[in-house]
Amino acid sequence: MRILLAEDDPQLGDGLRAGLRQRGFQVDWVRDGEAAERELRAEVHQAAVLDLGLPRKDGLDVLAGLRRSQVHLPVLVLTARDAVSDRVRGLDGGADDYVVKPVDLDELAARLRALVRRAHGQPQECLRAQGVMLDVAGRRVTLDGEEVTLSQREFDLLQALMLNAGRVLSREQIEQHVYSWGQEVESNALEVHIHHLRRKLGSGFIQTVRGVGYLVPRELPAG
Amino acid sequence: MMTWFTRSLQARLLSMVLGSLLGVWLAALVLTWVDTRHELDELLDGHLVQSAAVLVAQYSSELEEDHGDGDPAAEDSSSHRRGHRSDDHRALKDAPVLHRYAPRVAFQVFHEGRLLLRSAQAPESAMVPLQPRLKDGFHTVQLTMATAVDRQAGRRHRDDAALPLLREPSEGAWRVFVSRGQAHDLLVMVAEEQASRSDILHALLRGSLGPLLLALPLIALLTWWSVRRAVAPLRELDRQLAKRQPQDLSPVRLPGAPSELEPALEALNGLLERIEALMAAERRFTADAAHELRTPIAAIRTQAQVALGEGDPDARHHALLATLQGCDRAGHLVQQLLTLSRLEGGAAPAMADLDLRGVARTVLAELAPQALRRGQSIELEADAACQVRGNEVLLAVLLRNLVDNASRYSPDGARVAVKLRAATDAVTLWVEDSGPGLAEADCQRLGERFFRVLGSERPGSGLGWSIVRRIAAVHAAVVQLGRSADLGGLSVQLRWPAAEARPSGH
Repeated sequence: MRILLAEDDPQLGDGLRAGLRQRGFQVDWVRDGEAAERELRAEVHQAAVLDLGLPRKDGLDVLAGLRRSQVHLPVLVLTARDAVSDRVRGLDGGADDYVVKPVDLDELAARLRALVRRAHGQPQECLRAQGVMLDVAGRRVTLDGEEVTLSQREFDLLQALMLNAGRVLSREQIEQHVYSWGQEVESNALEVHIHHLRRKLGSGFIQTVRGVGYLVPRELPAG
Repeated sequence: MMTWFTRSLQARLLSMVLGSLLGVWLAALVLTWVDTRHELDELLDGHLVQSAAVLVAQYSSELEEDHGDGDPAAEDSSSHRRGHRSDDHRALKDAPVLHRYAPRVAFQVFHEGRLLLRSAQAPESAMVPLQPRLKDGFHTVQLTMATAVDRQAGRRHRDDAALPLLREPSEGAWRVFVSRGQAHDLLVMVAEEQASRSDILHALLRGSLGPLLLALPLIALLTWWSVRRAVAPLRELDRQLAKRQPQDLSPVRLPGAPSELEPALEALNGLLERIEALMAAERRFTADAAHELRTPIAAIRTQAQVALGEGDPDARHHALLATLQGCDRAGHLVQQLLTLSRLEGGAAPAMADLDLRGVARTVLAELAPQALRRGQSIELEADAACQVRGNEVLLAVLLRNLVDNASRYSPDGARVAVKLRAATDAVTLWVEDSGPGLAEADCQRLGERFFRVLGSERPGSGLGWSIVRRIAAVHAAVVQLGRSADLGGLSVQLRWPAAEARPSGH
């Protein structure tokens, strides 16, 4: 899962990036409000962690600008402003969650996962499709109850496809989900990962729409 | 009670109004008393004189007749009359009591020292002792009157019901007018009881004092009511202030307050406004401080948690190092916050004459290692002693902040220089560096609490400038920012004008 981290404090930003990476996120880090707004408008991230006291442009202004432009990506505000009035202003200003510093990394990761899940209309922590269950928090995948070992890349790719079950994801969209900045994308890496996933989960699990992209069909509700 | 009386506006107004009213009234009364008494004395004395004159005239002419008529019959009649007078002397003294005031007047007529006639209540002895040298005119004597009046004589007039009985014998002051006939040895004494004059006066005063005594409570009530109404806004103010919450610093509104109260009200509201500004600044500071402390603590916690979950030794080492740095940073911030709050809340620091060179040497020696680690050079230029009056601890804090800032915000390998110069008119201190310097807009925002220059990677509290400005203000030193001519970076100048500085001629 790829998220944008907007935090101006070097030490905290460094720590959050490292901590979220440990917890399986792809993290892009910006240090001022203008950069945050620019990146978020590109809509390549699944969620954002936004500090409010950002240089150049305040976090709340960034948020207001995004919401005005109909950018609905989930935003978690992480700030030192703890007054109730600040929380209210943050949530009313378009934040999906409001967390006061300092925060536990596990909690922050869980909140981000919850935000992304809700944004995709998935009420549960686990994604399911055709006997495949993906445990987002535990980073585990089972096929008909049996554990399947996946690489981190494969997991991220599967998560992106399952989150968007029933929708065709283009190659670019998938790459945006799976790779953060500075990560080299090998030319045929995606095909290799898809091939591995089909081998492990069954060839029909991921379908190809030639010239457009890939999809995991949506599981129809039982009964 | 006394303090209540003198301090209560209402009581004071009431007592002053009533007191002065009473005073004026009493003064008027005294004046009336004196004036009336004087007029009354003149009038009644005039009456006495007139009565005496009538008696003298009458008896003079009677005696004249006696002397001038030589025939026996006349002599006889005269002797008869005289005899009659001397024999029936009692009858003569029973001059009729015609008016209730009659007992208050008396007269005696003497001829050649012998009593010829007297009024009923007059004594038989002369009211004013007869002396050869007794002068005409007024005399005031103590007399016991009506002793000579027997019951018989008194009763004789009792058929006239309108007339009171003669009074019981009483002693009192009497005013006596003594008059002599011109030719003959005739002496007339007309007397009037002094008390009767006082009675008239008393009656007069009662007449004017009575209404006052009736009016006084009414006036007091009216005054009390109007004063109470006048001070009602004060009570309202009291009520409003009493029920006010300590946090409530909104202006006090008193609709219908008298104009006299307005300046006090304005001053009060001005004070409330200033307190609110002060509290707002305090709240902002607390909020800012909390905000600024939260970020370093969040960084420490995050880095520690990263280190805990990190399997890669290099990455773990990096996280642990960042944790340590975060602790140092938080410690530094707390130190700066404490310094600033002590500076802002504390009393004036103790001042002494000191040489700035000593302070500069200590501070530079302290900071040199951290600068040297980054390949920065740090130097002190001071040729003469720079005596200023100041607090050594605070000046060291100021200099440490300036030099630390210069080093912190300059790149590795930069130069930092501290220069001191003592001139006749001022002592000047410069802290210069070869760093990037500051943009105009940043120069202006510098000194706002927690303001940090954008894009700066160096950790800082954002409080250093607030502290520098505060200490400079305490020392009456002027701070100026500029670009260093020698080093090209930021130049901070502190100038102690001659009055504050003590340049010495070393």
